[in-house]
Amino acid sequence: MNHYFIHTVKAEWIKKRRSFADWLVLAGGFFVPLLLIIILICFPKQLLSIHASGHFWEQVFDKAWQMMAFMLLPMGIVLAVSLVVQIEFRNNSWKQVHTSPVPFASIYFSKLLVLLVMLLQLFLLFNIGIFLAGVIPSLLNSHTSFPAYTVNHVFFLERNLHYFITSLPMVALQYMLSLKFKNFLVPIGAGLALTTGALIALSWKYIYMIPSSYTALYYLQSNNPVPPAHNLLLWSLGYFVFFSLLGYWLYVSGKEKG
Amino acid sequence: MYCAETRQLSHSFSSHADALKSVNLQVPGGSIYGFLGPNGAGKTTTLRLLLGLLKIKEGEVLLFNKPLRKQRLQSLAKIGSMIESPSIYSHLTATENLAIYRELYQCSGQRIGEVLSLVGLSETGKKKAGQFSLGMKQRLGLAIALLHQPALLVLDEPTNGLDPNGIIEIRDLLKKLNEEQGISIIISSHLLSEIEKLVTHVGIISKGKMVFQGTLNELTGKQQQSSKLILETDDPGRSLEICRQLELNVISGNGKITLPVPSREKIAALNRELVNSNISVFEMSVIKKDLETIFMELINQ
Repeated sequence: MNHYFIHTVKAEWIKKRRSFADWLVLAGGFFVPLLLIIILICFPKQLLSIHASGHFWEQVFDKAWQMMAFMLLPMGIVLAVSLVVQIEFRNNSWKQVHTSPVPFASIYFSKLLVLLVMLLQLFLLFNIGIFLAGVIPSLLNSHTSFPAYTVNHVFFLERNLHYFITSLPMVALQYMLSLKFKNFLVPIGAGLALTTGALIALSWKYIYMIPSSYTALYYLQSNNPVPPAHNLLLWSLGYFVFFSLLGYWLYVSGKEKG
Repeated sequence: MYCAETRQLSHSFSSHADALKSVNLQVPGGSIYGFLGPNGAGKTTTLRLLLGLLKIKEGEVLLFNKPLRKQRLQSLAKIGSMIESPSIYSHLTATENLAIYRELYQCSGQRIGEVLSLVGLSETGKKKAGQFSLGMKQRLGLAIALLHQPALLVLDEPTNGLDPNGIIEIRDLLKKLNEEQGISIIISSHLLSEIEKLVTHVGIISKGKMVFQGTLNELTGKQQQSSKLILETDDPGRSLEICRQLELNVISGNGKITLPVPSREKIAALNRELVNSNISVFEMSVIKKDLETIFMELINQ
């Protein structure tokens, strides 16, 4: 399995080159920071108050995640995952992949791994964007200069890791749906319905059971001094494992392989 | 030894009638096996079952004498395939497409250049496969199938949509691969004329059943068997008697006499007897059925 796995991961990595999903990760990583740059340039009072807060980078980070966590990240995951799986359906290539001498497990998990690496790429670009969103408006404003404040590395790494973990259930769920349905509109429709449904039900007492709400819930929890009643990270990891295994079972037990 | 074999292979898709009924396909090693049948006869279903793309419900598939169920990966490593339209990533170049399968088949990078040159796509450079013509896509599909130097090629209607020149090019390439590298080939088509110049063996499937399987010579033999001698004279009654005296088996004697083609000596003897009996012979001709007619008769049985 390991022997095949490295090769299938390499193959999957080539497949996504110049694909829509690849461009989406690039655009998605810089979209919110770009909006934030425009906001902080157009509304300099906000920039001055962030500078005066004493927690410059934490506040810029928080503002960026406020826009990202509720809608854009879950929607981006829905689109990017569906687009990656759709590469096989659109090019009619499942049959060629499935007649290659590679175990089904290698094919399934290598694609999932590539999706997770793409999510990491998105986080990396997003953090670079956050840095630029702090620097560019500060340099352009005559009352502020380069924000040479101390960076709390633990804060950034921990928050990024937690957002990453809370994104995992949506990746696995969307991957399962995208593999199951050839028609692109079905997984996209289901994913978007789950995302908007979670936003509507955000104040519901059982919302912690809806995986599409986790990035938004984590944002709310991380800004709430009251300790959360449910451990979202554990729920996220649990759902991720569950959807990944269920998805694999559905994939392997399919009667037609292209 | 058969490189591909099915035993009592049956299949049905839900809510449809049986797509395959006890198909026993036998592809000898080193052969070019033409798998013929009209559209919807079960060719693609058989090939998809052979490659493990469909779950086997009834019967068995053996590749290189080993059951597919038990030796899936080992068998697939020796097979190159192109089922229906070629599977090509349209946003990638020809080289990138081949690089994907190079990883999956774990073969050397050198092979990419070799197969591109073999199918005449060396000059495509950075052009994306989505911008290729249909013929180029077919050739790239073939390059993917040949990348890992397979022992068996499974090609489902590989000349679909190609112009006559393209068909001849593919045919010549397949012949060369078979003769020079000993690659066995299964090639499906719904047109006998398209592949009769290429194949050594033929399997004909109709409505999910194999109606003929054998060498091309055996199919040609059927052509000989179904040939007729037509005889027209001014005295059919006496002509019939002469035929019987010469122990010829007459099929019909209304106006024109029809009989299975006898040996050359018997034809000469018949002619001599007729002339000696003062019977005027207006016509004595052999009617041969072409292979296409035999094929049509077989699939319409």
